[in-house]
Amino acid sequence: MWESFLEGVQLSLRWDTFGMMSLGLFLGMFVGALPGFTTLMAVAILLPISFFVDPLVGIPFLLGVYKGGIFGGSIPAILVSMPGTGAAVATTFDGPELTKQNKGKKALEMAHYSSVIGDTVSDVVTILFIGPIALLALKFGPPELAAVIFLSLIVITITTGGDFAKGLIMMFVGIFFAMIGQDPIGALSRFTFDIFPIRAGIPLLPMLIGVFALPEMMLAVERKAKSIVAEKIDLEKSEKLTFAEFRRCFRTILRSTGIGTSIGMIPGVGQVVAAFMGYAAAKNASSHPETFGNGELEGIAGAEAANNAVNGPTLVPLLTLGIPGDNLTAILLGAFIAQGLRPGPTLFEEQSAMVYAILVAMVLANFLFLIIGYFTIPLFVKAVSIRQSVLLPLTVVFAFAGSYVFRSNTFDLIVLVFFGLFGYIAKKLRFDVTPMVMAFILGPILEYSFGQTISLADGSLLNFVFVDRPITRIILLATPVITGFLLWRSFRHKQKSKA
Amino acid sequence: MIIRKFIQSLFAIGVGLLMIVGSAFAEYPEKPITLVLPLGAGGSHDLNARVFTSIIPEYLGNAVIVKLMPGASGQTGTAAVANAKPDGYTLLFTHNYFDQLQQHVTKLPYDTTRDFKTVARINYGVASIVVRADKPWKTLDEMVDYGKQNPGKLVFGHSGQWGAIFVPAAQFLTESGVKAKFVPYKGGGPAMKALLAGDSDFTMAFTSVIKAQGSKLRVLASGGNSRVFPDIPTLKELGFKSDIGRMYRLVMAPRGVPEDRMKTLYAAFEKLNGNKTYKRMMGRLDENTDLMLGPEYEMQRPTQSDEFKVMVKAITGN
Repeated sequence: MWESFLEGVQLSLRWDTFGMMSLGLFLGMFVGALPGFTTLMAVAILLPISFFVDPLVGIPFLLGVYKGGIFGGSIPAILVSMPGTGAAVATTFDGPELTKQNKGKKALEMAHYSSVIGDTVSDVVTILFIGPIALLALKFGPPELAAVIFLSLIVITITTGGDFAKGLIMMFVGIFFAMIGQDPIGALSRFTFDIFPIRAGIPLLPMLIGVFALPEMMLAVERKAKSIVAEKIDLEKSEKLTFAEFRRCFRTILRSTGIGTSIGMIPGVGQVVAAFMGYAAAKNASSHPETFGNGELEGIAGAEAANNAVNGPTLVPLLTLGIPGDNLTAILLGAFIAQGLRPGPTLFEEQSAMVYAILVAMVLANFLFLIIGYFTIPLFVKAVSIRQSVLLPLTVVFAFAGSYVFRSNTFDLIVLVFFGLFGYIAKKLRFDVTPMVMAFILGPILEYSFGQTISLADGSLLNFVFVDRPITRIILLATPVITGFLLWRSFRHKQKSKA
Repeated sequence: MIIRKFIQSLFAIGVGLLMIVGSAFAEYPEKPITLVLPLGAGGSHDLNARVFTSIIPEYLGNAVIVKLMPGASGQTGTAAVANAKPDGYTLLFTHNYFDQLQQHVTKLPYDTTRDFKTVARINYGVASIVVRADKPWKTLDEMVDYGKQNPGKLVFGHSGQWGAIFVPAAQFLTESGVKAKFVPYKGGGPAMKALLAGDSDFTMAFTSVIKAQGSKLRVLASGGNSRVFPDIPTLKELGFKSDIGRMYRLVMAPRGVPEDRMKTLYAAFEKLNGNKTYKRMMGRLDENTDLMLGPEYEMQRPTQSDEFKVMVKAITGN
């Protein structure tokens, strides 16, 4: 292993690899920052480029697009409260608030450094433990996934701001929204009333933009148009991140990296859950959880380190088993095959130097990313450093354009407006929309994996999950303990703040 | 002033005339063609489309843009093309199960036979029946015997209801009379993972997927007319009658595209099939380049529909 690792290092140290990887990072960051364009689309569109170049140039190029895209999605989330992807939702809790306090630059820099650290550490862990991670990925079947998602939903509902009861209501609303359309297993239509556009279900992206970005604009309008016309947030003059602030968040970054890496090892969970868990853990560990959601740099660090730390381990099932864990790695699989490389046990045995070279390139990409981000963040800051009276209408335009380009479907604009109003009303009634969104994203995964579990259990569900599946047993038994602990903590905190 | 206005309007009329004349003489396609995939990113259709759309512009003289419109088991994208203007600038990249099977299992907002005409079947994927290498069954017969003696015990992991893995296996199980337990997975990858983890007993997979797993799998039989693995019999050789395990990848146009434009498309696909880069890339993807042009494929569609109808009836009982 050591020899092929060293050989891999040598293979990856090439100028053209570095150049294309930088280009990929740069492109990915821009596409990710545009509302309505997802990282997945960017990688799919740029895939043919990789067909015609050397594998060690083409694949690192796509990896660059992937990494850049995930960070790119956080930029509009921080600056204008418009999450580009589900992975950036947790970043909207503190990002826009920091921008309002004229600390947008600090927030972006924090996001950048946390992403780089999270990504680097998880890539190194992946290289060191690629065998065990592959084994774990294989052991994680439907019952395990269902148990993890169930636990995640509970943790999310408890740790978001506000009432637990309100959180639960929103969670059920989210699950209901997720049920509209075809059921994931039998493809039967549910709650569609024979209206064709909703047969495919509610699209995620317009919902995200609607529920997070539109209410912000409506509130801004409410605060009287007059003050907005004059108001200008001059982010260019806003301060840079200080070392003291970075050091304060360092523990959070490491914790979130650990959480993100572990979640990345579980196939099918992904960045969305990781970002949220990282955020929740940071809030729980903090001695001042009340600052979270009101512009806390630690919140940015917690979410961003975690969602990037997912990147390394998600590649493991692809490289070792030849099985892509999600849509993105499925496209990478295509890039490998078009190069005549067939990821899977055979590739790993016969061409392990090649596999290591790609993993090493991933680590190197992070260093390039550190440099590229340093030069591009000021550009993004400059882009939004215009008068509020101009920025606000522009954001509205982007919200509508972004919702439309995603599927080029006019129905999505109705969805956008509906969820904009929904988010506005929820805000007025002091309901947090986060449990709704998370339940909407995770509900179908839970339903699907639970359905599979029932099929596999053959009529004796309890016996199956508690006796035949030891990992499921552990997760299920831990669920009430974790729930109790979190409830007790939030209760005690409320008592304290009253006293 | 008046003279200037006059000259301006003369100029405008001239330009207008030129544009009208120009468009009458300009050959189709004079702008990029959109190819809608009713499927998600990263699947075999996506990969096939990325390969041929990067080469076919050479013969069309204009770009082909891939647009992914997944959702509602292919209905979202298919409906969009069914409602598109039949001018040859919007095409659909689909497969025979969406084309002829789906209508027998669900109510569709379009009629595929009435609304679509085939441009070309660019190739087909062949699915094979696989088990994990440590399973006791060395041949398909042995697995069928086990399945008959233990009804409902044999676990079949598939990639989704009425999908490219589900259908051939359902055809095979119906014809052999085995009752198996169907467990759905989200796509071929997860179904393969379940097989490797031992959660399912058998699945079906396309050739490139099987080759990547090397000695971890045992192939029992393949679909199609000729062997894909030299030592493994096809289901036809084993006496199965229906056309099992061939997923045709089809480029279709909304019905009503002018015949001369259809001819341009046929010619482009024919030339594409002689392209060396195309052949090499498809070879790497482990896909064949067995092209069949629209007019010939059109004749098969009614037969397919009848076969699928019988199969659906046998499985669902209605």
